[in-house]
Amino acid sequence: MAKPGYILLKLVEVGIIFFVILTALFFLFRLSPGDPISKMVDPMLTPEDMAHLIQQMGLDRPMWEQYLIYVKNFFTGHLGVSFHYGEPVETIIWDKLKWTILLFTTSTVLAAFVGVFLGKIAAWHKGSRLDNVMSISALVCYTLFIPWFALLLLWILGFQWGLFPLGGVLTPALWISNAPLITRILDVLHHLMLPLLTLFVINLGSYLLLMRSSMLSVLSEDYILTARAKGLSEKVIRNKHAARNAALPVITSVGLSLAFSINGGALTEQIFTWPGIGKELIFAVSNNDYPLAQACFLLIALVVLCANLIVDLLYAWLDPRITY
Amino acid sequence: MGRIQKNTSKLFRKSCDLTSPLCLVLVTLAMLGLGIVGLFSCSQSKESPYLKIGLPEEPRSLNLWLGTDANSRNILSQIYQPLFRRHPETLEMIPWLAQEDAVFNEKELTYTVKLRKAKWSDGSDFTSQDVLFTRQLFSDFRIPRYHSHWQVIEKAEAPDDHTVVFHLKEPSAVFLPRVMTAPMVSKKEWEQVCKDALATEKPLRYLQDYQIEKPLGTGPFMLQEYKKGAYIHMVRNPHFFGRGQTIGNLTLGPYVDHVLFNIYGTSDVAILALKKGDIDYYWWDIQPGYLKDLEKDSAVDLHYNKKSALYYLGFNLRKAPFNDKVLRQAIATVVDKAFILDRILQNHGNPMHSIVPAGNHFWHNPDVRKYGEGMDKETRIKAAFQMLSDAGYSWEIPPVAPDGSLTKPSDILLPSGEKMDKFVILTPPADYDPKRAFAGTMIQEWLRQLGMNAFARPMAFNSLLETVKGKHDFDAFVLGYGKLDLDPGYLASFFSSKNDNPRDWNMSGYRNPEFDKLAEMQKTTVDVQARKQMIFEMQTMLMEDVPYYPLYNPHIIEATVNKRFGGWVERVDGIGNIWSLCMVQPVK
Repeated sequence: MAKPGYILLKLVEVGIIFFVILTALFFLFRLSPGDPISKMVDPMLTPEDMAHLIQQMGLDRPMWEQYLIYVKNFFTGHLGVSFHYGEPVETIIWDKLKWTILLFTTSTVLAAFVGVFLGKIAAWHKGSRLDNVMSISALVCYTLFIPWFALLLLWILGFQWGLFPLGGVLTPALWISNAPLITRILDVLHHLMLPLLTLFVINLGSYLLLMRSSMLSVLSEDYILTARAKGLSEKVIRNKHAARNAALPVITSVGLSLAFSINGGALTEQIFTWPGIGKELIFAVSNNDYPLAQACFLLIALVVLCANLIVDLLYAWLDPRITY
Repeated sequence: MGRIQKNTSKLFRKSCDLTSPLCLVLVTLAMLGLGIVGLFSCSQSKESPYLKIGLPEEPRSLNLWLGTDANSRNILSQIYQPLFRRHPETLEMIPWLAQEDAVFNEKELTYTVKLRKAKWSDGSDFTSQDVLFTRQLFSDFRIPRYHSHWQVIEKAEAPDDHTVVFHLKEPSAVFLPRVMTAPMVSKKEWEQVCKDALATEKPLRYLQDYQIEKPLGTGPFMLQEYKKGAYIHMVRNPHFFGRGQTIGNLTLGPYVDHVLFNIYGTSDVAILALKKGDIDYYWWDIQPGYLKDLEKDSAVDLHYNKKSALYYLGFNLRKAPFNDKVLRQAIATVVDKAFILDRILQNHGNPMHSIVPAGNHFWHNPDVRKYGEGMDKETRIKAAFQMLSDAGYSWEIPPVAPDGSLTKPSDILLPSGEKMDKFVILTPPADYDPKRAFAGTMIQEWLRQLGMNAFARPMAFNSLLETVKGKHDFDAFVLGYGKLDLDPGYLASFFSSKNDNPRDWNMSGYRNPEFDKLAEMQKTTVDVQARKQMIFEMQTMLMEDVPYYPLYNPHIIEATVNKRFGGWVERVDGIGNIWSLCMVQPVK
């Protein structure tokens, strides 16, 4: 079990790392080629116009001054206004984040649960036909190329069979006509199905393989033999003795995957026109939208740092042998 | 310790329960159920009365001063209207919010514009005060793209509610095409916002960041709802001045009550949506790879139109050896435009011979010098070899042997006798624009046949612009403008000596005093025919000096579904224009 002193120390560590990331992000973006208006290839835009825009964005000030403003804004709760959208970045991130969490976090959780369950079964039946089928299928899932698989699902299930919509998050006609709330919820879930299925299949493979390999190494331990010698049932040995210990590395992986799931995924979002944060992040970086890109990365950094901390503490809680 | 173990076991058991086979079956059933719900909702939406248009990306902003990207403009151009706009067929400037042609008083340097009795979408009158307010706004906030052109106006006055007199500082050739095509905004809507903005440290930024929910316009449609990340719903503006009017020989609608814009992240999915009937038109250029499939579909109409675009090879004239005109002409001679057209554009475009695209038929000079036209590969190399030899370039092993056959040449030597250094042709990366990237590679191969150590190097677009436009640190580059203005005023921007500065538009560093003189003169020449002569002469000079070598102009290919709506208006740059939105009507 973690002691309060250890938790405090960890929190200070997280704070320092976060501040370093905050600073590194600022300089990384400023040092990358171009600026927010360099991509505007419009002959109607004169150099005076460009200089005026740069000045209005505050980018004509010395770097150190910009940095101090940035730090001050951060600590007073202002992440800035997006150069591209003209909206506060908090609003943009929240608009996108809810869709990202709905899709990516759900798919990670579902894939983790099913992957752990199937991985446990596969390891228990090591060398059998069931194990072979599961392992090969998991490898196939793991190596699937997302755009290809996503387009295939869209083409078959969305276009040929017409079971699901071709992207987006809702059916405009239903929302415009003010359909009942339950219909609208079902509509969003209906739109969620194809991207969810894509991500679920792709994530499932890695969890299954991870659990299988972890379980296999646990099954060769002496205490499993002891458990058998004690005459315990197979189910009890599998679920209580083996799987519980085998789940530890999977928990680390799931914890980090959940943290990183807020990144979204630009390719999946692009293909399914899912208004998540992944596509926005790529766009903000490639268009030098500094406030938006910085805020997105800061959010990811914060969540990953917190997830790491939680996994650390969870380890101590799950495994009584670990103490801090 | 015992309690912790108990908790652990409870947690794990729960997770196992959730992943039981029963749970998997339930998930599968839920997906099937939702599929059925979806079938029901899809069949309902197909009967809806909306004109459904697909967009490739979400608009940047519906604030006119920030939304300058193509997708925002597509929406905003249905709302905010200019005083004059171009006729879709003749491309001449015709009155739009103006009642009649502007009257120019040469002596007093004034334009008098009579306004239509139009209304804003909230029912209030559009008056000359709105025009004066718009002009003041451009000036106060130095609005990019507009301010520089509106500066030619010394003062503006409104003798009555429907007349505006513009007093110019000097005659302006672009008064109608550049100044009068600016969108007009409502004084009522923006006055307070402007006052608040001017009181801040960064007024333009305040104005651009202002969140506008229901933009007030005079156009055929008005915004009903914008659900970010999902759709934009526009409805017919009951006060649109053009409804039932014949303007430019077209009796305007709009004939549809609702327009729905949906976003599609990739062309693959948008094409599927089009074929499925989820959208009636995809407002984006369709790549030739999709055409075979779409041509087979009787419900889909394809529209091929010329583009006002320019894709070119540019040289850095500030440094040797590209400051040598003959070298540039020789390079132009070996470039095989027919190959580019055939292999890269798959014959969906035209070779370009002048900086002004051929689709802009009024300003395009068809009689400029054309390099390598009608020549096969061998003749082109021989012609280029002859030009370079005559100018003093030499080879240890020349590309053309004494018996006239082509050989693999040694490195080319400059007239000074030095070996020409390796040089780089910068291109955008293939994932940004495969056509330009591939064209760069082909040019590299053709130049190597002349013994030039050319290397095509794809570079991230930001870095490419920074290198070429910002630092001027390059040899040659392949770039393009996908949407050039129909007025050829850009010739002066691209090639005037005074614009040869970092971040300015004369990226090649072209300096020609004669050209500069013409460039200045045409700006103030109001007589269209006289200006046309100057523009023609400027094009001739440019094709003689070749600071840019125009390569190709792709067609714009668009697709519509013909089952529900028809009447799209074709023009240069495609059917995606306000005329189409005013003319499209349900198919009977």
